[in-house]
Amino acid sequence: MPPTPALSHDAPAAGGVPGAPAAPAAGPFPLAERLERHLGDPAGTAGPFTYADAVRLDEESLFPAAICADLDEFGLARHYVPAEHGGDLARYDEALQMTRAVARRDLTVAIGHGKTYLGAVSVWVSGDAAQAAALGATIISGVPVSWGLTERDHGSDLLAGEMTATATEDGYRVTGEKWLINNATRGQVLCALVRTRPEGGARGFSLLLIDKSTLPEGTVTCLPKVATLGIRGADISGLRLAGAPVPSGALVGREGGGIETVLKGLQLTRTLCAALSLGAADHALRLAAGFADDRHLYGRRLADLPYAAHTLGELLADHLLGEALALVAARSIHTLTGEMTALSACVKYLVPTLTETLVARARKLLGARSLLLDLGVGGRFEKLERDNRIVSLFDGNTVVNLHALINQFPGLARAWRDGPQAPLEAPPEGLRVACDLSAPLPRFEPGRLSLVTRRGLSVLRALPHAAHELDTLARATPALRPVADLAARFTAAADVVHAAMARQEQSRMDVPPGAYELAGRFTLCVAGAAAVALWLGNRETWTEGLWRDGAWLHAALTRAMDGLGEPVPGDEPPFPELAGWLLEQARTGRPVSLVPGEAVPS
Amino acid sequence: MRSTATVAGAPAATLEELLGDPYDAGNPCGHAAVLAADERREPLAAAERVLDGWRLNAEFVPVALGGRLDRVQDLITRLRPVFRRDPALGLGYGVTSFMAAANVWLAGNDLQRRRVADLLLRGERLSVAYHELAHGNDLMRNELAARPDGDRFVVSGRKEVINNASRAAGAVLFARTGDRPGRTHSLMLVETGSLPADRWEVLPRFRTGGMRGCLISGFAFDDCPVPATGLLGGLGEGPETALRSFQVSRCVTAGLGLGAVDAALACVLRFARGRHLYGRTVADIPHARDVLAGVFADLLAADCLVTTVARSLHLLPVHASRYAAAVKYLVPLLLEDAMRSLGVVLGARGYLREGEHAIFSKLTRDLPVLGIGHAGGTACQLTILPQLPGVARAAHSSAEAPAAVFRRGDPVPPLDLGALRMMGHGDDPLIGSLLAAADDRTSPDLRELAGIFRADLFDLARKIAALPPAERGVQASAPAFRLTERYALLLAASACLNTRRHHDGDPFLGGDDWLRAALSRLAVRLARANTSRPHSPEAHGRDMTAPLFTELLRRADAGLGFCADVEPVSRPLS
Amino acid sequence: MRTMFDQAGLELWLTEKIAMYLAIAPEAIDPTTPLAEYGMDSVYALSLFGDIEDELGLEVEPTLAWDYPTIVAIAGYLCEELATQNREAS
Repeated sequence: MPPTPALSHDAPAAGGVPGAPAAPAAGPFPLAERLERHLGDPAGTAGPFTYADAVRLDEESLFPAAICADLDEFGLARHYVPAEHGGDLARYDEALQMTRAVARRDLTVAIGHGKTYLGAVSVWVSGDAAQAAALGATIISGVPVSWGLTERDHGSDLLAGEMTATATEDGYRVTGEKWLINNATRGQVLCALVRTRPEGGARGFSLLLIDKSTLPEGTVTCLPKVATLGIRGADISGLRLAGAPVPSGALVGREGGGIETVLKGLQLTRTLCAALSLGAADHALRLAAGFADDRHLYGRRLADLPYAAHTLGELLADHLLGEALALVAARSIHTLTGEMTALSACVKYLVPTLTETLVARARKLLGARSLLLDLGVGGRFEKLERDNRIVSLFDGNTVVNLHALINQFPGLARAWRDGPQAPLEAPPEGLRVACDLSAPLPRFEPGRLSLVTRRGLSVLRALPHAAHELDTLARATPALRPVADLAARFTAAADVVHAAMARQEQSRMDVPPGAYELAGRFTLCVAGAAAVALWLGNRETWTEGLWRDGAWLHAALTRAMDGLGEPVPGDEPPFPELAGWLLEQARTGRPVSLVPGEAVPS
Repeated sequence: MRSTATVAGAPAATLEELLGDPYDAGNPCGHAAVLAADERREPLAAAERVLDGWRLNAEFVPVALGGRLDRVQDLITRLRPVFRRDPALGLGYGVTSFMAAANVWLAGNDLQRRRVADLLLRGERLSVAYHELAHGNDLMRNELAARPDGDRFVVSGRKEVINNASRAAGAVLFARTGDRPGRTHSLMLVETGSLPADRWEVLPRFRTGGMRGCLISGFAFDDCPVPATGLLGGLGEGPETALRSFQVSRCVTAGLGLGAVDAALACVLRFARGRHLYGRTVADIPHARDVLAGVFADLLAADCLVTTVARSLHLLPVHASRYAAAVKYLVPLLLEDAMRSLGVVLGARGYLREGEHAIFSKLTRDLPVLGIGHAGGTACQLTILPQLPGVARAAHSSAEAPAAVFRRGDPVPPLDLGALRMMGHGDDPLIGSLLAAADDRTSPDLRELAGIFRADLFDLARKIAALPPAERGVQASAPAFRLTERYALLLAASACLNTRRHHDGDPFLGGDDWLRAALSRLAVRLARANTSRPHSPEAHGRDMTAPLFTELLRRADAGLGFCADVEPVSRPLS
Repeated sequence: MRTMFDQAGLELWLTEKIAMYLAIAPEAIDPTTPLAEYGMDSVYALSLFGDIEDELGLEVEPTLAWDYPTIVAIAGYLCEELATQNREAS
């Protein structure tokens, strides 16, 4: 089925549509577009970064060193260092899109290279200026930094950590082991969570920035690389320290502040992890679309079978729902910093989960091809599915993130209860800026990170107002009526979820299993609300393609309602047309994204 | 080792014993060896020798021909230890030999049947050669051609992604033999050893991401003469034979996956009992218990459906077409979801290819191959779609399936593959039994649960009645496809309800705890598939899994497997 | 805004609140024993602050229960904060 004119970016439009080849620099993420151009066509045989290389390195379990070196040359590491510490990181939404540009080519590279940001984040959150400047210079010089949180016997239970730092005259002596650490071997600098009080507890841990190259022989051992299901080339290993002397200047923040810093740093990294999922989904959707375009079954092109087209449309809608949430969350780091504890948990749970389901459904569409390594796309799909599974497991897994939300149920439910009953006031400025991709972002201030979300999520509190705004728009533009009605229903559905959260028992030492399901539903409420706010925030910037008549919003909200178990009466969203748009993007190498952008062949 | 040469019913437990403790690092058939062979992309030779010694191939040969094949359900349970150990071992050693041979048992003449029986009983393999890459499940567009030429056929073309092509004594080949509409394709038995060597070849191996140890390749023929005596059934009868034999292979393939998830559940339970997090073991965390017991419940539901369909092949052959399609559609979905939830509990350990829990990531890779192999889910839904009107009729007729369909221990008449129909005939006894069982439950909560399925059936029947004929083929819309999902879930509910109903007195299946858990989880899926009704988190009845967790621990401690038939397994406690 | 609480009143109120969180009897909680010893995990302890803010109309650091690990200590801190707030208000 050819794409309908309404959804094609090729359709002529007033106002210079970004995505039209003539205006590449007009997009909201110029640096990410520059990186895309630099990385070029991964389907080719030349160039530093090809799919073929990524698959071969995975087969041989080799670290993608040459590709990472090229990224260094491009200066990607500068974007892991905040501008105030000498780097180029000024916008977290752009950082998200840059990592995504790498991830859609290969997750091993995105993780292997991007982990340096995770290693450094504690210093950006709690380090002093001199420490941050020094680390910034180290990173920019090309040194990988790793983050040593987990231990063999304790996994996500950080407070059970046994690596111990004992105070000496001029610093600490550190003994213990960190395991399943990305870049533990390659990395020269390790930011380790260590026990500084024997009895432990929330104030019993500290962070030390340990430079392996300064440790005396015999006090540090790199543990062997661990064989993994996916990202087989990544350096996932560990580090054993035996009485390693570490100077007092290695302390990040204050002694006893380790857990607090980690919990704040995770709010940033968990949000950025969405880039990995979005990149994997980009890749999977392109492969599925390419297959559906070429494959003939039962005498028809697969893409022309209604069921296949519908499936592709749904997969795209899931992807866009996740993208909307990730974009709003990444921008909220700047403007709604105090809300990130809840928002980051939503992102880290929902986006990887949506993507895992998306990839599994795409696999079924591809059939046997998805499992054969030597044909057509040459094992790319099989690899990306294996690789993608890591995203929901590291940096706080599914259970950890849902649990973090369950802990905040009373406050979140309270905020919802108090929110919609207030007069229909305009959304707060922080939310408006977060949702308008053309609005300049204020500098991110780490000091505003909090361990709890005090007054709920602005994007949810603004949902009734946003639904009302859509309703008003629909009075003038009848084509918006279905999506306006859907937004109203969605608001009612969010109310049901919050009511159940309010009913959730306060005694939560033994969290009942149903609470996890409920927390999952809550994340869908947040994602849907983010989608509504994002559409409203940019509807004047982009008026064609997916944006016209709220096409993508209609589809994304329908999928969110589906996930909430709420029936959606009325018109089906234009899933087949969305599929047509997806096929066209895949054919022309344009982004599989809400954000129009220039074509990069792939 | 006992001789099994003339034994008609060798117990599966023997094979479980022969394969030994999977967690024993020194066991040549243990997980460590399985994983090492997988890394090398080789079949596990030590385990294949065990299967040789046990004469596994005899399971594929009907008793009348000197083998041990009697009830299809026994074939599945006897292969379970193999799939519990390593799905690639099961597929690689030779489930495909059975898939090929089923066509011969069905359509072959006495000579052909004898020949294939002898070949299999000698330990030889047969390849099943339907698949051509360009056509997937679209059989009627298969291109490999066999031109009749006197007392032979001249074969040209390729069959791709064929298991064991490089080491099979022969193959059952699906070939285009003519142009007469509806009679274009035939099946033929080809013994490759007797073909002129310059007229055919084995294709290079196709590497796969899962089942890496399987030797999957293909055949290429170039004007290759094959004796006409290999033709199975009449010329142009290939599709009828295929669509009948598929019913057996679909049911068997779906059932074999249960062993893999049984092993995965054991792996994660071991982890949960040994791992300490937040001051207690993972197995003490309510969420983890719920996941583990929930997977157990899904395994039981899947087993009920598999066994009911396997018995239907004997007892309700005229209806089996859509049952087999439904089981092959639904069970791989249940199993894949089970693996996903188990993976959440296992966490990062489930991502490793080394250490005590490494088998989990291998099972994660292997299962999808089994799910896609021999007709993926969509092909199965396309089998059900045109048969939906019969379901609608059944909602208003009370024709129940005989109790024997659900009594797992009862004997069944010999499998008569010729009695299978390409399309399910008339009404739908398993659906009739759903209505009967829903009325029959005495405990109020079970009546209410059963009532959910009953109500959904009537709603489904209304939707089917409104379905235009164009919506029953490849042009069907997404909502029409969803009806097939609901149908499959209703069959599963019927299988569970009636298994319980016809096992009064059975210490496990005769109880209500497992039924409650299995039905409540099927009801959640049903609600998701029926997008016109809301479902709320409170309706999920999560606490229904608690009693099952106790049973799960009991079985683990007693060294028993987690499927419906309680059978000993070689698994240490921790 | 709620009425002023004194040290004893706050201890009682906190004990009841925390007993509910931990699903144990209030009598089983000794106000001088660190909450962690009752199995109150640190991240979970963060959620205590919401109740405190709601009840007392007082903005407090979420890490309150980390830095003041017993009921007596928390109550003491809150008493002081309330007094400060009261002074500023008058």
